[in-house]
Amino acid sequence: MADAQNTAPVQEQKKNVLDLFVEGARKGFDIGTRSLMPNVIMAFVIIRVLDVTGLLKIIGNVCAPVMALFGLPGEAAMVIVASIMSMGGAIGVAMSIFSEGIIDPVQLTTLVPGIYLMGNPVQNIGRCLGISGVNTKHYAMILLICLINTLASIWVMRLLVTLFF
Amino acid sequence: MKDENQGQKTPQIKVGWMGYVAFILAVLMFSGLFSSSDGWLRALDFNTLNGSFGTIQSTAEKALNFRGAGGSGAKDGFIFAITLMPAVILALGIINVVDGLGGMRAAQRLMSPILKPLLGIPGVATLACIANMQSTDAAAGMIKELYDKGEMTDEERSVTIAYQTSASATITNYFSSGAAVFGIMVAPIILPLIVMFAFKIIGANIMRMYLKAVYRKQAKGGK
Repeated sequence: MADAQNTAPVQEQKKNVLDLFVEGARKGFDIGTRSLMPNVIMAFVIIRVLDVTGLLKIIGNVCAPVMALFGLPGEAAMVIVASIMSMGGAIGVAMSIFSEGIIDPVQLTTLVPGIYLMGNPVQNIGRCLGISGVNTKHYAMILLICLINTLASIWVMRLLVTLFF
Repeated sequence: MKDENQGQKTPQIKVGWMGYVAFILAVLMFSGLFSSSDGWLRALDFNTLNGSFGTIQSTAEKALNFRGAGGSGAKDGFIFAITLMPAVILALGIINVVDGLGGMRAAQRLMSPILKPLLGIPGVATLACIANMQSTDAAAGMIKELYDKGEMTDEERSVTIAYQTSASATITNYFSSGAAVFGIMVAPIILPLIVMFAFKIIGANIMRMYLKAVYRKQAKGGK
């Protein structure tokens, strides 16, 4: 804990702003090529499979009444489902249905915080709940809170976007 | 005694003026405040710096960028991912500069006194919640350590982890994969971030109320 705090100032003196930018940009390139691109391709292929098989339309129709509560088409349920497994994947799915014209930029914007508030609980059970050793009795409630946060954030974003932007 | 302990165990976050400047600049840059302003101030806007791809004139319809139109599947995803990458590279470059100049520590310094009353957790635990802005595992590890040392109760740990789990590693995740949507969003880049922090705090308080209800019930049932 103390170490993590102490290492930062040492680095700070060694590197100038340009070095820092390039170092960060390199991380960005790594994330872009090693995480973003594979995730986007995966999402595009999944959406393609669902589209070709006609499942996307079925999912859209089945989820339409629920998603309508959030001002979203039924297909947008895929974004929330994907966010349970992967945040990058969910962004990919959102981008995929956006580029198909299923959601508009406003709807895309309202989905963004929710993707992170859900935050990949499949991994978080091990990484956050497991590591901290939190009482297993409370796992379900903590995960339920993630879901509540996600759904409520879509409404709040909708409200903010329509009021201010 | 307890105060002494806290003093020792909470490392003082030192922030120079440069850190605050970097932090404020980052907030301005991602706020979109200068997106439509004329002149040099536009240089302080993320989407202005990110720029745009050139377009290819097509005879029939409107001009296209190199992604083209009507693609599908993995190939379309590949080209699309390329169009998203500059935003991710730029965002992480900026974040690394801000971090290197002490801007992240300035954010920590500013958030610490806000989090403590809003979450109702011990002061030492706020440091872990702040680490949670950038790392899921490190922050959760810090909480375990605090609990093992007896510096927080089981309930306090549950509340803290409810805060940490939803939108964990907020800044890291949002500025990496989220950067892909920065150019398309209709709201300022910083808005989803504010909404996320608000809901983290709301979520933790739902947990607080839930725990209160559970323990009240147990106390009654026990007797």
